[in-house]
Amino acid sequence: MRIPTLPTWFATKASSAPTKKDRSQVRVGIPKVLNVWSTHQFWVGFLKALGVQPENIIFSSDTSEEQGREHGKGRGTVDCCYPVKCISGHYGELVFGQKKKINVLLSPMLYSIPSVLRGNVVDTLTCTRVMAGPESVKAGFLKERDVFAEQGIKYASPFVSLGDPHCVTDQLYDGLKDVFELDKKETEHAVAAGYAALDAFNAKARGQSRKILEWCAINQKPCILVMARPYHMDTGIGHEIEGELQAHGYPVLWLQYLPGDLDLLNWLFEEDMRIGRCKNPFDINDVWTSSYSSNTNEIMWGAKVAARCPWITCVVRLSSYECGMDQPTFTPAQKIVEATGTLFFKFGDLDSTKPAGSVRIRIETITHYLSKYSEDIIRKKRAYLSDQGPLLEGEWPERPEVEAESPAPQEQQEQVISVV
Amino acid sequence: MAQLATLPVLPSAPHYTAYKPRPFKREEREDVTLLFGGLTWKHERMMQGVLHNLKYKAEPLPNIKREDLDVGKELIDTGACCPTIFTTGNLASFLKEKSATHGKEHVNNKFVYLTAGACGPCRFGQYHQSYAMALDGLGMKDFRMFLLAQDELDQGEGEGGGLQINMPMSLGLIWSILCGDVITDLEYRIRPYETVPGQTDKVLQESVEYMYQAYLNRPLQGGKWGTMAWHLTTDYFTKALGEVRKMWDAIEVDRLRPKAKVKITGEFWLQTHEGDGNYNIKRWLESEGAEVIPPPVAVWLHYLMHPEIRKLERRQSTSKHPQLEHKLLQVLEKVYRGTYNRFRKALANIPYELPDQIELINLAKPFYHFELRGGEGHMLVGKALYSYHHKKAHMVCELSPYSCMPNTMSIGSMANVMGRYPDLLYAPIEVKGDAEVHALSRCQMILTEAKRRAQQEYEETLKETGLTVEAIRQYEAQHPEVKKATYKVPHMGHAGEATNYVLHLARDKQIARA
Ligand code: SF4
Ligand code: SF4
Repeated sequence: MRIPTLPTWFATKASSAPTKKDRSQVRVGIPKVLNVWSTHQFWVGFLKALGVQPENIIFSSDTSEEQGREHGKGRGTVDCCYPVKCISGHYGELVFGQKKKINVLLSPMLYSIPSVLRGNVVDTLTCTRVMAGPESVKAGFLKERDVFAEQGIKYASPFVSLGDPHCVTDQLYDGLKDVFELDKKETEHAVAAGYAALDAFNAKARGQSRKILEWCAINQKPCILVMARPYHMDTGIGHEIEGELQAHGYPVLWLQYLPGDLDLLNWLFEEDMRIGRCKNPFDINDVWTSSYSSNTNEIMWGAKVAARCPWITCVVRLSSYECGMDQPTFTPAQKIVEATGTLFFKFGDLDSTKPAGSVRIRIETITHYLSKYSEDIIRKKRAYLSDQGPLLEGEWPERPEVEAESPAPQEQQEQVISVV
Repeated sequence: MAQLATLPVLPSAPHYTAYKPRPFKREEREDVTLLFGGLTWKHERMMQGVLHNLKYKAEPLPNIKREDLDVGKELIDTGACCPTIFTTGNLASFLKEKSATHGKEHVNNKFVYLTAGACGPCRFGQYHQSYAMALDGLGMKDFRMFLLAQDELDQGEGEGGGLQINMPMSLGLIWSILCGDVITDLEYRIRPYETVPGQTDKVLQESVEYMYQAYLNRPLQGGKWGTMAWHLTTDYFTKALGEVRKMWDAIEVDRLRPKAKVKITGEFWLQTHEGDGNYNIKRWLESEGAEVIPPPVAVWLHYLMHPEIRKLERRQSTSKHPQLEHKLLQVLEKVYRGTYNRFRKALANIPYELPDQIELINLAKPFYHFELRGGEGHMLVGKALYSYHHKKAHMVCELSPYSCMPNTMSIGSMANVMGRYPDLLYAPIEVKGDAEVHALSRCQMILTEAKRRAQQEYEETLKETGLTVEAIRQYEAQHPEVKKATYKVPHMGHAGEATNYVLHLARDKQIARA
């Protein structure tokens, strides 16, 4: 089916040689939800390589209750976790809420995703709701009549395993050939461009995290690791809890962008590897055996990194209400982190409304503990690592001795539990 | 970075480690009982036969009780789906009870738990995490639990050699499950029509016991391939099922009872289970005047092994002969269906055939992509449409565990299906485990309409054929074979058994009009 309003989009030249279609006028809307948060640069790179203009790639806004009320009302088909429930609002915003209409609504079904842990885990699949979310949400726009067609929008939801690059060209070609009039060669080229953009972005973000850690090491200051799913970066889903902590002067790292540099990780896990707890710094088999789900695997890995890295003195775990993937990980993740006395706080059951009052109280508690115990935690965790580390080339203070007593004071442990 | 080799030895940081069972040694086998569960008592009894045949001590866990939900909730993190809570609670209750009598150490040493594992991002893939947490909570971390991967028939010897997941065990278990399925189908097709109340259940008990003996005495044939060849070619099991069929011959049925046929679908554990875990909904539906189509485990196994559906799972395969492997899987799939059909035939073809998986994919296509993993995937949509298009049931009752991830997604996409097929009777029932009245009354609403349709279809058919109940009764008196439970009434294009029966007598048996 062609979009009648844009005959030029699909126009091909008379020549029989494969030519790049003119897609400069095509406007593509992408719901900024779920694992689009960790793969958006792939989609931008992919579409740009196909000739879609950057200004014509439109991501929906951050999630908000108004967005849901205004654009998603009556379109929900099921009651489940908020990160999925809110998608109707994102679809609606792209379909109804654009001054300049979009031509394509691109909502990929992400089956697997790239991960630094690939090769060390069983698989890097997404949550079943992440992969199937688009099927459930689209139903709200099709159940009575085809809203997309009415609005002159092509709904495109390719099934794609981004974690398996060798499958992706075929999958995106199959899923999008009719939408963008693709040929195989240009799809292949666009996929490569997508991965290049994603890799460049991730490298940059990880590099910034490393700089934060370097700053912490030089200044012997603590930082906080946010352990959450990528879409908790959405201000309407994670409710900017990390922002409030940052406002108290604590640098924040996101699990998804922890540095993956081997010099640093080998140093952190040196002893664990030597005694055979893990084979390499990305091995999580010692703490999590059913390593299918990519985001879950990374949460476990992040917990391990936090437990070792001296300057990560506190982990803040965010989790959405009714998240079936997080549920079995709560206790193991907390135990991994707390084993070395690292502070652990959880904001569970996050939903559409920000629990502002309780967040404020918890932030106060967290910052209180951070200021009271960080110095101690840094010193104690440092004692498990070798003298020379990569963050402080040549400037290492002397390594302290391991202390006999538990790294976390009893009072602190009890307080932590009561805030969780 | 400094070279690892030259560094001085460092102190080890305190560390959390995931549960790992200590080895189960070969010499312990005679003394240690394998615990298992998760299916119906019928399947489990036959599986027990397989394990006894292999000289294991084996015992299914007691059937799930409502209290198991509370026990489970206490031991694992909040927010789990109810199958996880129930099964964890079930194991924990058993261990608690045994420990109270024999002490924890005895239980740790004398029992091991065998559970399904390795199955994707949710479902069984993470059940064992909850079990491990429960063991921790019970102070029984020393208790051993082993995972039975569903995609490997020959996993070799487990650490210690006490447990050998090999071809005789895997094929025995699969074959016993298939027999459990066909007998369960028979049970549900007959019980609503039995003329002597309770007779079906009695014969069912006897049949399952008979099959237990058949599995107990299964002649073991050679090694890996010999076992495979024997299972695929032997008539040992079909003969045993033939004996079972004779037992069912004795049951007399009255098929002139128009009943709403209700197809049960849903999350694997919840739909298979018979008991408190799903509010005993199958028995409840029967008591409300329905005939239930139970979900065979075989459909799930078929889905797991289907070469087209599982193609993507081989994306990381390093096989040198991927095409050959694909062909082999295709053959295996055919053989699997063939085996199931042989078992059906031994029971007079009364158990339902397995749906064609490719048809399920195609039916679900506009609504739910077949490669989406977790739970029953596209099959929930596919099965609902399959029974709708083929007129196999008046109504679909989908059992969905509260907070189940994949099920919520397919229920969402069913909104789209319902938009296109508004006359499909579909009852998605959320099961929390402790909200029975609410769930059953929701089901009741749709069931009322299904019953109305069943009655209407029956009456219209009587009118159309010109047959009367009296004429049919007369025919039955002269041809008592049609009243046997094992008499096969063909599907005549209607969902209702009574309607198909009337049409069959009118068209195939040419009963004279009134
Ligand atoms: S991981 Fe949790 S929050 Fe995210 S989609 Fe899955 S169930 Fe929902
Ligand atoms: S399919 Fe649903 S109920 Fe079953 S284990 Fe997965 S999330 Fe739980």
